[in-house]
Amino acid sequence: MKWIGALFLIIASTSIGLYISNQFEKRPKHIRQLESALQLLEAEITYSQIPLQMAFERIAAHLPHPMKEFFSALSEEMAREKDFMEVWNREVDRLAVWTSLKTNEIEIMRQFGNSLGQHDIIQQQKQIRLALTHLNREMEEARDEHYKYSKLARSLGVLLGVFLAILLV
Amino acid sequence: MEEILRIFPLEVKNYLAAHIGNRWDKLEEIRFRLHQPIELIFEDRVEWMDHFVPKRETGTYLVNQLSEYSLYRMENELREGYITIEGGHRVGIAGKVNTVSGSVQAIQNITFFNIRIARQKLGVAEPFLPYILEKNYLNTLIIGPPQSGKTTLIRDIVRIISSGWKHEPARKVAVIDERSEIGASIQGIPQHDLGLRTDVMDACPKAEGMMMMIRSMSPEVMVVDEIGGKKDVDALSEAIHSGVTIICSIHGSSLETIKNRPLVKYMLQSDMFKRFIVLGKRSVFKQRIQIYDESGHKIKTFGDGWT
Repeated sequence: MKWIGALFLIIASTSIGLYISNQFEKRPKHIRQLESALQLLEAEITYSQIPLQMAFERIAAHLPHPMKEFFSALSEEMAREKDFMEVWNREVDRLAVWTSLKTNEIEIMRQFGNSLGQHDIIQQQKQIRLALTHLNREMEEARDEHYKYSKLARSLGVLLGVFLAILLV
Repeated sequence: MEEILRIFPLEVKNYLAAHIGNRWDKLEEIRFRLHQPIELIFEDRVEWMDHFVPKRETGTYLVNQLSEYSLYRMENELREGYITIEGGHRVGIAGKVNTVSGSVQAIQNITFFNIRIARQKLGVAEPFLPYILEKNYLNTLIIGPPQSGKTTLIRDIVRIISSGWKHEPARKVAVIDERSEIGASIQGIPQHDLGLRTDVMDACPKAEGMMMMIRSMSPEVMVVDEIGGKKDVDALSEAIHSGVTIICSIHGSSLETIKNRPLVKYMLQSDMFKRFIVLGKRSVFKQRIQIYDESGHKIKTFGDGWT
């Protein structure tokens, strides 16, 4: 009986470790996706000059999960609701829940939303570039953290489980 | 009239809907100025909505609704000073102007809105068509002062010619709509009914557009609004020589007064036009419309034709 309990403990602790490590691993990936999404948006705005709602819909078609859901939700909500800022903020909040993005990136996106659709092409392009620069900085940090902590979290999970098991058995 | 109401925030929308009630068919303009009461201009009277004074936020809301939160698409519109919305309605805008080396680049801080309600008057051109037709349609010049209904008339002519009427088969009509007034297109799609066989080159400079249309769309009838410059006239005569019927309009109050303008003089001397439709000043109920032939003889006068 004791051994089964110990086994569960180790499994649980290992899973937590893996989960945390996974978060570190996914953050750069999600930032990268966000960056390519903004680049697509830039192209849609400067070359096709289509309305935001349509642009979101097109971008969604090119992106993998979870960014796909973010942009298609934006497009759908915009068709239904009038206040874009509200829609944007709500969807960004949901993005924070569903992805490994941290507060910094979320804050960048929130700021970016404020500028969206309020300027002419050149200004809009500048705003997108600015957001991209910010994201790039976060990207570097996220990569560093990934190298530093991802493996650490994984092994720490296993070791902590084993340690507790030994302590209790 | 949901397409007009939808650009207003909820509180204004409700006021407006209640105030206008069922008088939409009489409404001509809604004038919306920041920090001034909203003005409603009906055909026969002007009314004010004193209890609501729009603030800056309401203006921003309007701009966002007009641009669908995509102001970057509005570069041309902000330079030209009007935005066309669904249904062919026009929103004229004014505010602070940004200039680059002396020419207008964009209107910023939009403060004044003039929402002009477009009403297509189907059938207004019907009485005139027999006079511009002789086996084929004749080159026609429509002359009238501003607000006399030149564009309304030309639009209906397009619709009727390109859908056919009585025993007349429909013709291929090409419209060069430089100021987007004939078709009021949004993303290339005309918001007014222009008939079955109409092709529209939207927002295109007239002279170039005419040549493009002749080369590519093989029109039988070509329609342009408000000709003015030398280039337009050259393109017109080119088009006429290539066998296309031209119907176009020009600002002016009578055949005599426009004769003094050098370009028009040239056009008249070279017998480009076979018919002239002269629109008189329009009052609420009456308008005098005269039709002349190529030698300047009056063929027909409509005393109170259409209103």
